[in-house]
Amino acid sequence: MDKGLLAYLLIPLLSAVIIPFAARTRPKMADILANVTLLAGLANLLWLALRPSMIAGGFADIPGDGLSLLLVAAVYLVGLCVTFFSAYFIEEGLPNRPAYYSLLLVSVAAMTGVVTTTDFFTLYVFIEVLAVTSFALITTDDSSAGIEGALKYFFLTFPASVLIIVGIAILMMTLGSLSYENLRLFMASDAPAGPVTFASALIMLGFIVKSGVVPFHTWTPDAYQGAYAPVSAHLAGIVTKISGVYAIIKLATLLRFFDGRAQALSEMLMFLGMLSIAVGALAALKQTNFKRMLAFSSISQIGYIVLAAGLGTPLAIMGAVFHLINHATFKTVLFLNSASLEKSTGTTDMDKLGGMEHSMPWTSWTSIVALLSTAGVPPLSGFWSKLLIILALWESGLRVYAVLALLFSIVTLAYFMMMQKKVFFGKKTPASERVQEVSAPLLAPVVLMSAIIVALGLLFPYFYAYVKVVAERIIL
Amino acid sequence: MIYHTLLFALAAVFALWAVMARKLLVSAIMLALVSVCVSLIFFDFGAPWAGVFELSVCAGLITVLFVGAVSLIRAEDEKRPENRARFYALPFAAAIFAIAAWFYLPAFVEELAAGAKIGSGGGSIGRALWGMRRPDLLGQVLMLAAGVFVIKSVFPRRTQSK
Repeated sequence: MDKGLLAYLLIPLLSAVIIPFAARTRPKMADILANVTLLAGLANLLWLALRPSMIAGGFADIPGDGLSLLLVAAVYLVGLCVTFFSAYFIEEGLPNRPAYYSLLLVSVAAMTGVVTTTDFFTLYVFIEVLAVTSFALITTDDSSAGIEGALKYFFLTFPASVLIIVGIAILMMTLGSLSYENLRLFMASDAPAGPVTFASALIMLGFIVKSGVVPFHTWTPDAYQGAYAPVSAHLAGIVTKISGVYAIIKLATLLRFFDGRAQALSEMLMFLGMLSIAVGALAALKQTNFKRMLAFSSISQIGYIVLAAGLGTPLAIMGAVFHLINHATFKTVLFLNSASLEKSTGTTDMDKLGGMEHSMPWTSWTSIVALLSTAGVPPLSGFWSKLLIILALWESGLRVYAVLALLFSIVTLAYFMMMQKKVFFGKKTPASERVQEVSAPLLAPVVLMSAIIVALGLLFPYFYAYVKVVAERIIL
Repeated sequence: MIYHTLLFALAAVFALWAVMARKLLVSAIMLALVSVCVSLIFFDFGAPWAGVFELSVCAGLITVLFVGAVSLIRAEDEKRPENRARFYALPFAAAIFAIAAWFYLPAFVEELAAGAKIGSGGGSIGRALWGMRRPDLLGQVLMLAAGVFVIKSVFPRRTQSK
């Protein structure tokens, strides 16, 4: 485990334990403690990664493999946006409000554990903590849709845990160890890799289910639609990335996909990634509910990351890591905007909405930034990550996949433009009459995230230097 | 030998209790205690990894999941009283099994103990937990915290809806 980042796990846990006591007489203390904990952690992480000497040195002194630090920062950033938004979104009198914040902080601590561990069993333990907190967070919305989403999440993701634990057991029997390093060394040797690859394939299948990759995606639209909107942003923005996609990227590098040591697994992963891109994008075209469309869009975008991880070359891994971070930013913006729409109009049904641009200009413009980035329009951050992935595919001779990835990027732009036209442009509908823009505190997280999307796109050379260091360290 | 027998007996008692308990919450806790006994048996037979995993997954994770699920369905559960007459036969079945075990199990336990000597070198519980699997303990603490907050998140709503 990366001990340098241990404090980022322990401090949210400590705050989570303190919150129920501190908020007993002053409920606002729950909001304050959760936000201060995440803000302090994020400030500290930004100083670690972005201090001038670090940038001047080309990020050569970044601690650990660099990926853990980057992902912990993403976890804290999305966590902060969600807790800040929740403070003004969730009703004051909600009886389980302190427990909601404690669950969010435990979720942040568990995600930090996932990205800092170097052992498969410890990874499994933290993933399960994350599953339990996600299940509870989805049920925060006591409606039948919330319970349905939580149960679907439970029934589809816990069998995935069985696959992971069986894979870990077989890995223990065949490799004699559960550490990442031993798997990496084994795959670098000439020893026959059959049983170890089989065990890894089981573990990877479990994480594919947890990521919501097609054909195991059925839990995601219901879970995202049924949960409270900030919880949907938390789940779609970062939880599925850390509880599934991160482990897939990690396994892809440990199994050395780039030198063909697990060719069949690599090809299968790329196929599932492509399938996910296509099915997610085509299904998103048909949706009439904003949150459900975003859920299918998430499935499609995760497909890009899985496709790149399956290829496994250094350039593809750089693209996968960058797209993971980008997806966390633009999906958080879009889900939080769906929450703002729901709060203002009482619905997320796109057929009932229209002309919202005039009454909610900030929500409209931040949506435009996020959707253009998702579709890969230059110079926003999503353009660069998709470019890296498509270039990596082209370079490796997988031109059909490269062309399809590009084509479905255009489909992404199409369904988002249709959404923007239906919801924000055009004539006002009865549901849109007398609607006002949400308050400034609810806008702050989405404006911050939109600024990050623009900044990551414009300052791409710096970010490229960082992810290059990450790719070199985790692959070589 | 006495230590093993005691652990086996305790595991059996907790397992029976889990089946016979009227409240699902008690059943979940008893099941966790069965796992604790089984993991102690694993440790003593020189299988610290199996012991740690049993403790982590069964006594930790599964219990939190059960307690979380019980807290969700508890309001419904109390409305449907169950006919429990068939469970009263279980203590008699357990007594018959105990008498049979008195005859047959010592040889089996001795065989296992011989195996434990061969597989020794796994280390003590402390070494296994603190030396080999320290990060898992952190995960366990997080899991316990998550379990507590799941209950705290669900119960106030149940109380309010009543």
